[in-house]
Amino acid sequence: MLQCIFLLSDSGEVLLEKQLTGHRVDRAICDWLWDQILTQGESLKLVPVIASPTHYLFQVVREGITFLACTQVEMPPLMAIEFLCRVADVLSNYLDGLNEDVIKDNFVIVYELLDEMIDNGFPLTTEPNILREMLAPPNIVSKVLSIVTGSTSNVSNTLPGATASCVPWRKTDLKHATNEVYVDLVEEMDATINRDGNLVKCEIYGEVQVNSNLSGLPDLTLSFANPSIFNDVSFHPCVRLRPWEANQILSFVPPDGQFTLMSYRVMKLKSTPIYSIDNIAVQFRLPPCVASSDLSSNYGAVNVLVDKTCSWTIGRMPKDKAPSMSGTLVLETGMERLHVFPTFQVGFRIMGVALSGLKIDKLDLKNPLSRPHKGFRALTRGGEFQVRS
Amino acid sequence: MAPPAQSHRSPSPSQPSGKGEVSDLKTQLRQLAGSRAPGTDDTKRELFKKVISYMTIGIDVSSVFSEMVMCSATSDIVLKKMCYLYVGNYAKHNPDLALLTINFLQRDCKDEDPMIRGLALRSLCSLGVANLVEYLVGPLGNGLKDGNSYVRMVAAVGVLKLYHLSASTCLDADFPPLLKQLMLKDKDAQVVANCLTSLQEIWSLEASTSEEAARERETLLSKPVVYYFLNRMKEFSEWAQCIVLELVSKYVPVDSEEIFDIMNLLEDRLHHANGAVVLATIKVFLHMTLSMTDVHQQVYERIKAPLLTLVSSGSPEQSYAVLSHLHLLVMRAPYIFSSDYKHFYCQYNEPFYVKKLKLDMLTAVANESNTYEIVTELCEYVANVDIPMARESIRAVGKIALQQYDVNAIVDRLLQFLEMEKEHVTAETLVLVKDLLRKYPQWSHDCIAVVGNISSKNVQEPKAKAALIWMLGEYAQDMQDSPYILEGLVENWDEENSAEVRLHLLTAVMKCFLRRAPETQKALGDALAAGVADFHQDVHDRALLYYRLLKYDVSVAERIVNPPKQAVSVFADTQSSEMKDRIFDEFNSLSVVYQKPSYMFTDKEHRGPFAFSEELGSLSIGTEPSDGAVAAQRVEANDKDLLLGTSEKEESHGYGNNGSAYNAPSYDASTTAGASQGHFDLVSIDQPSTLHPPSSFAIDDLLGLGMPAAPSSAPPALLLNAKATIDPNAFQQKWRQLPVSLSQETSIDPQGVAGMTNPQALPQHMQGHSINCIASGGQAPNFKFFFFAQKAEGSSAYLVECVINSSSCKVQLKIKTDDQATSQAFSELFQSALSKFGST
Repeated sequence: MLQCIFLLSDSGEVLLEKQLTGHRVDRAICDWLWDQILTQGESLKLVPVIASPTHYLFQVVREGITFLACTQVEMPPLMAIEFLCRVADVLSNYLDGLNEDVIKDNFVIVYELLDEMIDNGFPLTTEPNILREMLAPPNIVSKVLSIVTGSTSNVSNTLPGATASCVPWRKTDLKHATNEVYVDLVEEMDATINRDGNLVKCEIYGEVQVNSNLSGLPDLTLSFANPSIFNDVSFHPCVRLRPWEANQILSFVPPDGQFTLMSYRVMKLKSTPIYSIDNIAVQFRLPPCVASSDLSSNYGAVNVLVDKTCSWTIGRMPKDKAPSMSGTLVLETGMERLHVFPTFQVGFRIMGVALSGLKIDKLDLKNPLSRPHKGFRALTRGGEFQVRS
Repeated sequence: MAPPAQSHRSPSPSQPSGKGEVSDLKTQLRQLAGSRAPGTDDTKRELFKKVISYMTIGIDVSSVFSEMVMCSATSDIVLKKMCYLYVGNYAKHNPDLALLTINFLQRDCKDEDPMIRGLALRSLCSLGVANLVEYLVGPLGNGLKDGNSYVRMVAAVGVLKLYHLSASTCLDADFPPLLKQLMLKDKDAQVVANCLTSLQEIWSLEASTSEEAARERETLLSKPVVYYFLNRMKEFSEWAQCIVLELVSKYVPVDSEEIFDIMNLLEDRLHHANGAVVLATIKVFLHMTLSMTDVHQQVYERIKAPLLTLVSSGSPEQSYAVLSHLHLLVMRAPYIFSSDYKHFYCQYNEPFYVKKLKLDMLTAVANESNTYEIVTELCEYVANVDIPMARESIRAVGKIALQQYDVNAIVDRLLQFLEMEKEHVTAETLVLVKDLLRKYPQWSHDCIAVVGNISSKNVQEPKAKAALIWMLGEYAQDMQDSPYILEGLVENWDEENSAEVRLHLLTAVMKCFLRRAPETQKALGDALAAGVADFHQDVHDRALLYYRLLKYDVSVAERIVNPPKQAVSVFADTQSSEMKDRIFDEFNSLSVVYQKPSYMFTDKEHRGPFAFSEELGSLSIGTEPSDGAVAAQRVEANDKDLLLGTSEKEESHGYGNNGSAYNAPSYDASTTAGASQGHFDLVSIDQPSTLHPPSSFAIDDLLGLGMPAAPSSAPPALLLNAKATIDPNAFQQKWRQLPVSLSQETSIDPQGVAGMTNPQALPQHMQGHSINCIASGGQAPNFKFFFFAQKAEGSSAYLVECVINSSSCKVQLKIKTDDQATSQAFSELFQSALSKFGST
């Protein structure tokens, strides 16, 4: 049970305070936390669960905003952290990004959201689709609308239909002019490669993202051509687990709009033909003993920041040459050789390919009102792809 | 990063600094209050926003309370919400003004829009003004019967809020039975879940005073109710599922068939996208199978994949919480992740707190088959730019080496670190090499060869320098230059700031002298002279001791300073298995993150939000003035700051532990004794003062200060419930209600008193005897504890106030119980437990 939630700016200012129970938590706790952050380094370095002299604190940092929750009673730590992560996700989704100004400008909607997400310290609903039905997001469309119609209320006049429907993530009487459903396979490749070129570790983390704009109460089944490749899977609550266990078929009534149907891990990679890699970028940090550097490349742009982060944007691999970067590094006086070697972070994007080799077999619709349009895409990104030197 | 903002930033032009703006607002609001002109709502909205934003940045705007209430007559829901928010914030401190809001909130509770009904009811229940509870009963009663589930959901939580404001009003209105009805019938799962949380809390708080409530609390865990929840599991929101799963984990199935049924039903929860649900499910699985060894092992296998997914898929904060749990599991069953070690390889840009836990995992899962790979990976981190990470990695390599797998290769690696010529790497490695040598003396030749090449000038960190000096002394006969290096160090005695290093230097010179007297004589003389003149008490004492020993008899000195050493087989810095078991009971709780059982960090919290400490303090003189004002007066005077004092100490201790997870809290006397043994070997015969204070009593023990072991009386027949718990509030209530059934004076083992330097020592000891500490406080010489115990069969409880004077070793006991017949037996049991304190 959480007692209070604070939102702090990156300078420790309280942006928002939401007391959750009759027992009031004093703001002084934020000062205490901030002192800890100042003495221990950035808030990112501070552990997410902290015991202060008076409360247990849970903190999650997103885009410079610290989401802080306090409690004095024993509770599952992951529950508090998960909840704060969801709050951050929902806010960023509602406000189109997170930063200090956006929160200050929209604090009323943040209060309203928190009111629906948690009562008396117990989380209620964090499902974005349901929240959107209770509170319309303050996006540009509704701003334009409000100017046109003269009504500035961002509150839907109806209660979410979902509370009455037997499918809690979907309201009953949805109607879409365009009847369409898109399924995206989005994969991230995490890999570590040693200086000798050996693969130390490699894993794919993937998500099946669905954007559903279907009328009525559609019942979908999605099957894969090669479901045996999964090492582990987790599902959105809408997925019925029996068909999955029996035949590895995803059977579900989708929420409306964009959601993550399933996430998975794959550890063994099959060789998949790759046609084009783009958005290639290499980033690394120069060792602290480097006094100055002069780096340039035969392809793409090289940029060295004040904190010695060096980023080399390559983009698409050129056909005629192998990109290379060269230059001189000047060590601090007294240093004879470089003792430490940076790790290179590599980012890339491969369109049209799921590197795990996962293939969608088919997507079927039970009780469609009309023939829907179905679309499939795949994409692989570099996740934690690092090369050691 | 910007400097700390004390409470908020310096006011910018748009933010009001003084009262001028607030009074402006007041006038503007007043003008609007009665207006029905078009556009009024928009103006109000702007003003309300301003008021709320002032409130948010911490400016007191309570002075516009009545104007806000006057403006609340509106049909605009956003305005209403802002008004509710405002009222909720200030009502508690302005109870008179809060009365003004009742009217419009009650009216809104009858609005035709269910959303407004719900929101108004929520605000009404959150006002937190005890005088106004009578106005809550009607709307709450209606709310529970409302046709809309949103309102019922709010009402179900509202009942709990009312209970906290005024338990009697809530019970008199018969709300709990109503909630129970709703819980078992309502078609909306969120209503059901809210009823459950409210009822759980109300009934456990009531259980100590009302048998009916205690029965009802039991019913929640009965088969029909638990099955009812299990059957509706999929209807619940993910968060409600967590609450239900927590309930299920307390349920005791009758037979293994039932266990399998429940596990089959819940198995799909392991695939849930919400990590909190997955962990709650895992807790149920682990608990239910604890007594079924084979199945328990299968459960480990089953939960592996979901846990690893949680680690790699979530945010760093989530990974942290999950890794803490993995670490606990791996302590119980190291093999479960031994083939998945690559999951714990660190990513370059992960936060340090995640990397640290991953390193702990890597050391924990290392075994014969994977050590080589793991150590190779760790060596990569040592070369890393990140210095703290490099240090932790070296320590991890050392820990693995001490676990005895493939030491050969590891020693080579460690020695390579020394050749990297990086100061922090050298320093960290030296400390490890020293530990390794203590465990594997057979490696001394290889190590010495490399260590001998290190110039002591390149080692600045005290710990590392001390380690180097220790090796110079210990292996004086193998290291050619040893006497000369030591001599150089002695020459710079005055520049050595660390007492630890100077202590080691003294001992090392002494050892060196005993082996290579002619070469070391001058250094020894200088060192002893400098040592005796040292301002540091320990250094001075040790120098004097050596001097006198040498004067008395060199062969005795040899025997004391340079005794034949045995290799250390076990280092004591691992948690005792009892501790791990305890934490395991508390899987999916904060204990796991702190790596200590909750009683070690929560008892202050148990006293919790309701200022328990002060009340208990006043209780002791308030209700029983007859009780000789002897200790009570003094204790009472101390109580408040004492409680704070101890708890803060506790906190800071706990906090320090967060970083280096394994500083085993000095609680188990046997462990600490082991630890000190280790220390002893290292610093030979040194004084206990180099050890941390909390363990000093164990040293006394070790040295056998001649304290007779306390006579252990035969255990009395009364059996206590080892798992008895009570909420501090309930304890307090009970303490107030019951008469004193026994008041006694006894004494405590002086050795135990020595252990009181650690405020947790006695509570822990008593817990071992099934007597739980509810609250504690004190500063030498007066300590005060409140204990609670429960009979193993039946529900009769024992409440004890125990005042200990540590200088006179006198103990005053006051025992209250609802079972007078056994009070004498309990008193004997309590005293026998107390008498064993310090003698274990």
